[in-house]
Amino acid sequence: MKRQQVLLIGEIEHAHESWNALSTLADLVTPKARNRSDFLDECRSGRLDETRVICRTFASVELTGRFDEELVSALPPSVKFVCHSGAGYDQVDVNACTARGIKVSNTPAVVNDATADTNMFLILGALRGLNRPMSTLRDGNWRGRPLPPLGRDPRGKTLGIVGMGGIGKNLKTKAEAFGMRVIYHNRTEDPAADAEYVSFEDLLATSDVISLNLPLNEATRHKISHREFELMKEGVVIVNTARGAIIDEDALVQALDSGLVASVGLDVYEFEPSIHPGLIANPNVMLLPHMGTWTVECQKSMEEEAIRNVRGALENGKMRSLVPEQANGHG
Amino acid sequence: MSQRAALLIGNIAHARKEWQDVGQIASKLYEYPEGGSRDDFLSKCKSGVFEGLFALYRSNDSNKVTGNFNDELLDALPKSLKYICHNGAGYDNIDIEACTKRGISVSSTPIAVNDATADVGIFLMLGALRNITQSFQAVRQGNWRGNFALGHDPKNKTLGILGMGGIGQAMAHRAKAFGMKIQYHNRRQLPASEEDGAKYVTFEELLKTSDVLSLNLSLNAKTRHIIGKAQFDKMKDGVIIVNTARGPLIDEAALVDALKSGKVWTAGLDVFEEEPKIHPGLLEAENVVLLPHIGTATFETQRDMELLVLDNLKSAIKEEKLLTQVPEQQKEKANI
Repeated sequence: MKRQQVLLIGEIEHAHESWNALSTLADLVTPKARNRSDFLDECRSGRLDETRVICRTFASVELTGRFDEELVSALPPSVKFVCHSGAGYDQVDVNACTARGIKVSNTPAVVNDATADTNMFLILGALRGLNRPMSTLRDGNWRGRPLPPLGRDPRGKTLGIVGMGGIGKNLKTKAEAFGMRVIYHNRTEDPAADAEYVSFEDLLATSDVISLNLPLNEATRHKISHREFELMKEGVVIVNTARGAIIDEDALVQALDSGLVASVGLDVYEFEPSIHPGLIANPNVMLLPHMGTWTVECQKSMEEEAIRNVRGALENGKMRSLVPEQANGHG
Repeated sequence: MSQRAALLIGNIAHARKEWQDVGQIASKLYEYPEGGSRDDFLSKCKSGVFEGLFALYRSNDSNKVTGNFNDELLDALPKSLKYICHNGAGYDNIDIEACTKRGISVSSTPIAVNDATADVGIFLMLGALRNITQSFQAVRQGNWRGNFALGHDPKNKTLGILGMGGIGQAMAHRAKAFGMKIQYHNRRQLPASEEDGAKYVTFEELLKTSDVLSLNLSLNAKTRHIIGKAQFDKMKDGVIIVNTARGPLIDEAALVDALKSGKVWTAGLDVFEEEPKIHPGLLEAENVVLLPHIGTATFETQRDMELLVLDNLKSAIKEEKLLTQVPEQQKEKANI
């Protein structure tokens, strides 16, 4: 019998030892293709027919494109597991995978700290209006003229977390150390949240800072748009480290220009790496290039977690962190 | 009762009305607004313009109008002056010893600045841990991530705090929520209730074992250049430096060298040795996060600071007592 194969799409950068150790269980292969159409051809060519597990990275989307219905249906029938290295897995069409009997895992818990850290950095930067002084100083103009407007203290402000999952809970602990009061909204109340549960509309209407910590899917695309901005407090601050398309970016720029939204802190964008020119032109907003999980420690942990999922799939057909859609389906 | 006039030097931005209200207890309110000069101020003092002056309001901002409160300036002020109420946590522009000698009591605004300063300290620390400047600038220039390099998590790193006063403790409280281990050095160990789990170490050990070193001590003759080449040499390779206190605590040229050699991986600085001038080696460096001394620049904190100065001023006029007298003078009182 031929040995089973693990197909790696993308690069393992840090967890080389754990990755190489998988070679006692399976042959480790990589695709020859360098673009989507070649990859689809390669899948259909029979070259990957022994592949049981695919391990893919967030960046590998540049090579294959999304794991959508077209791509999933082109995968060899032998593929039973897709292990995604990353917390957000909107690049993978889970329904299409489920329909083909493919299990999907992601790496949720390990990104909580790094993402919440970036989130807090953006909250502080946006509340305090730090983009402007950081820029004037670098231009050799110290604080600039006219002086930048005074910032706001986080202490005593209400932070509304939309999506109280692992990252939201982690952020809550950090924000409370700055004296913020935390409220949250989820589809259902979570007793483990240890914060006041409010309706989505109440959260929009009463938060001084709104933090988006929910996954992107059909139901959450443009979750924040014109109607939602109109419900918010004037001078609200919005922070997004989840996925860009959760906010209607056009509507956001309008709300910033009108002064309704005082500032935003963004790590993610609707059409990244392209960023709305109205955001780039705005000196009051804090912008980062989607780097929430980009620390040595977090990247390594994500790879290790994805590899643990690969190992589980190979050893006993079980993955530690099946995506919730599939985990819940399996009871 | 003899005359008890009050003088405001510089601006009040958020508590104008409360300053006017001081007029109900002071015999007279004087103002010396921005736009004046030290020479002009000295000559007004000497010609008796501020007759009956008992207490004055000054600030780090208004220091650019009058210059430092040193022997020369204190000699020119009316002999009736007994209280200087200073707006600012740092007061290195006031010669406290010279004030004490003349029987003048001085207050500053500690506590009010703790949160805002620690918030900026954490912002700079997180930014420095992520080495964020390069990507921060790239994204604005339309280069997305630019020459991106991975950063580090604060979790499980050791934060060394030099100067565990109010700001240091606020910094420690926040850093603990990020999973950091806290150690500190002061001249004296704090009581356990104020340590809140932080480990007291010698200055030497703090330098040798901290992953991030945060400066939260005041500037005086003893602490000037407390961090220089000899201290950098003792630190861990790849250490991160955060300074929200005062620029001259660090020998800036030595810091630039240490950043270039990689001894110091990154730094987050809100203060500089010769503000507003910044060492060109820092401006050129991509591995530093720089802010133009805005640690306390929030609406809430600025207002709280102004109100605290005015509370000191009112207490001085009514009860000849300061609420937040500088520690140097409190100690001398305690020793008597």
